[in-house]
Amino acid sequence: MHGIKRRELTQEFLSKKRARDAEKIVTYRTLTKRVLDAKNEENYTLENLNATTRLLELNPEFNAVWNFRRDTITHLKDELDVVFWDQEIRFTTQQLKLFPKVYWIWNHRVWCLNAYPGSPVEKWQQELLLVNKLLTMDARNFHSWHYRRVVIKRLEQMTRTSLNQQELDYTTAMINANISNFSAWHLRATLLPKMFALSEIPNVKDFIQKEQRYITNAMFTDAEDQSVWYYIKWFVKSDCVLKVLSTEEYKIMLQELKDGIVMINLDEMEFSGKENMWCLKLLCFLETIQVEELGLDIDAMKPEYLRKLVSFDPLRKNRYRSLAEKKMILSRRDAC
Amino acid sequence: MSKLDKESHIRYIASLDSKRDDYEYWLSEHLRLNGVYWGLTALCVLDSKTTFNRSEIIAFVRSCWDFKAGAFAAFPGHDAHVLTTLSGIQILAIYDALDVLLEKPGDGRDNSDSSNSSNMKTQCVAFLRSNQLSDGSFQGDRFGEVDTRFVYAALNALSILGQLTPEVVDPAVEFVKLCYNFDGGFGLSPGAESHAAMSLTCIAALAVVNKLDALSPEQMENIAWWLCERQVPEGGLNGRPSKQPDVCYSWWVLSSLAIIGKRDWIDFDKLREFILHSQDPKRGGISDRPGNEVDVFHTCFGVTGLSLMGKDNLVEIDPVYCMPASVTQTFKKYPYHEQ
Repeated sequence: MHGIKRRELTQEFLSKKRARDAEKIVTYRTLTKRVLDAKNEENYTLENLNATTRLLELNPEFNAVWNFRRDTITHLKDELDVVFWDQEIRFTTQQLKLFPKVYWIWNHRVWCLNAYPGSPVEKWQQELLLVNKLLTMDARNFHSWHYRRVVIKRLEQMTRTSLNQQELDYTTAMINANISNFSAWHLRATLLPKMFALSEIPNVKDFIQKEQRYITNAMFTDAEDQSVWYYIKWFVKSDCVLKVLSTEEYKIMLQELKDGIVMINLDEMEFSGKENMWCLKLLCFLETIQVEELGLDIDAMKPEYLRKLVSFDPLRKNRYRSLAEKKMILSRRDAC
Repeated sequence: MSKLDKESHIRYIASLDSKRDDYEYWLSEHLRLNGVYWGLTALCVLDSKTTFNRSEIIAFVRSCWDFKAGAFAAFPGHDAHVLTTLSGIQILAIYDALDVLLEKPGDGRDNSDSSNSSNMKTQCVAFLRSNQLSDGSFQGDRFGEVDTRFVYAALNALSILGQLTPEVVDPAVEFVKLCYNFDGGFGLSPGAESHAAMSLTCIAALAVVNKLDALSPEQMENIAWWLCERQVPEGGLNGRPSKQPDVCYSWWVLSSLAIIGKRDWIDFDKLREFILHSQDPKRGGISDRPGNEVDVFHTCFGVTGLSLMGKDNLVEIDPVYCMPASVTQTFKKYPYHEQ
């Protein structure tokens, strides 16, 4: 049970609930028995199909009933017309609006779309509207995001057209609406490598510069949020950047990002008297690339950052200590 | 609340099967076998294994057999699934009763001929293997839902039965590697966003088959970083960035960290405080977060999380299998060597 508030139940409430439950239990158990008996007898009829509708409305998590429903539909396939299939899709839409986190309903939805006569492309296109709507209701529902990937993949196969640009635009819109939507940042980070590989970005160098401005803007907008920091961590090590920028350009980009982060951190110090943990974490990360991968001879601030992190972010102090020790072991080895 | 109220949690778990006047009891039949596993595991960790009646529970496991699919369902008359098949096998293993599987399904009285090809163990192994797809992933049942939870569940179950093979393991490992994300987490399938529960299923799946070395040192470091960032100021752990903490992640995150040897990268005292605040002081049980309704799932992952931290004098739990370490010690570990 997730997110259900605990209540202090009075005796009166409990006895009323018992009385109400007694009736509901009889209805539910009678219906369950009927459906499971029919399932056991492989009795695939329209009446039993309707019984599964009623039961699934009471309990959308009853997977054996979803299974029986699919078996029944498969057996009655020749008698069922498009009106039936549209109704079946509407049924799962209603269910998803009420229970957007139930795996079984999503699973049934995919099955329906695949089993729909001819599985036409228009039906799959409509699915995007549903997903958009559900993602407006809950922008982080990972079922919706997963289903979106399933639908897009299917549409791309059917139409032999890449939808990467459309999806990239969607992530931009979602991030602009809420910069903490990591699900959208995630999708963005998985789309770009595909788009680079398929030469879908006309001017790659220009794109990388724009992206750098976009993320710089994002980190200045909300430096408390992890999403953009994870994205930056990905961006600076991704092939999209490494294969496009020359080493000199790469060095400049890293330094610009660091300068921006230092500035955010100073602002925060001035504003709240505290340093920003994520700024310090990213500064460590970027300095490691500069020193260990590019061999730059810069003033190493990492030990200082790590020391600060141990006190500002004590939940993770052992991580910082372990990074500091590793650093010392490496430098001792260098000295030998 | 500063103390783990073991007695009331044991009472709460013991009372679960007596709530037949509650509508919710009937609505949760589809999770009954899983629920028995969560309850039994919690009881084991609380050192109160005998609270459940062993022979009644074993009889219930048998009654969940799905004759058509040849594996375990959540409840008699329901359909077999990879997840519930794992629960059935785990319960039998905890009771040192895996021999039950050498019998034919049914009431068990007709024979116990272990060479008979249709015994339950043979059928379970066939069921689990038959749900592996060509890309190495597993579907939960014949309807094709793919999820790393099913990969872990299938490998875990086959491992308990000592029936892993390179034909099953190698493609499954390849699939798990595809579910790794740039941020250091794993998703439910390739391309899906990182989620702490799926991270555990992937990391533990690799650990079950002794293939953690399929991940590079850089990936390992990233994984440990992402996992420890799941702890929020309240002390609890969340499943994804910018989400609320939830007691069940005490298990998903902490067991993952334990498997990769970075258990202490989060703050134990703060997490313990969060779990203890999620107890129901009156009726026992643990909820997802303080002030919410308790359930057996969160009770299980609350106490197993505490056990992983070595707190409250609990029985040791194995982070790979989520079963008592004394039980998992007896499992044959893959790769198998000829005796």
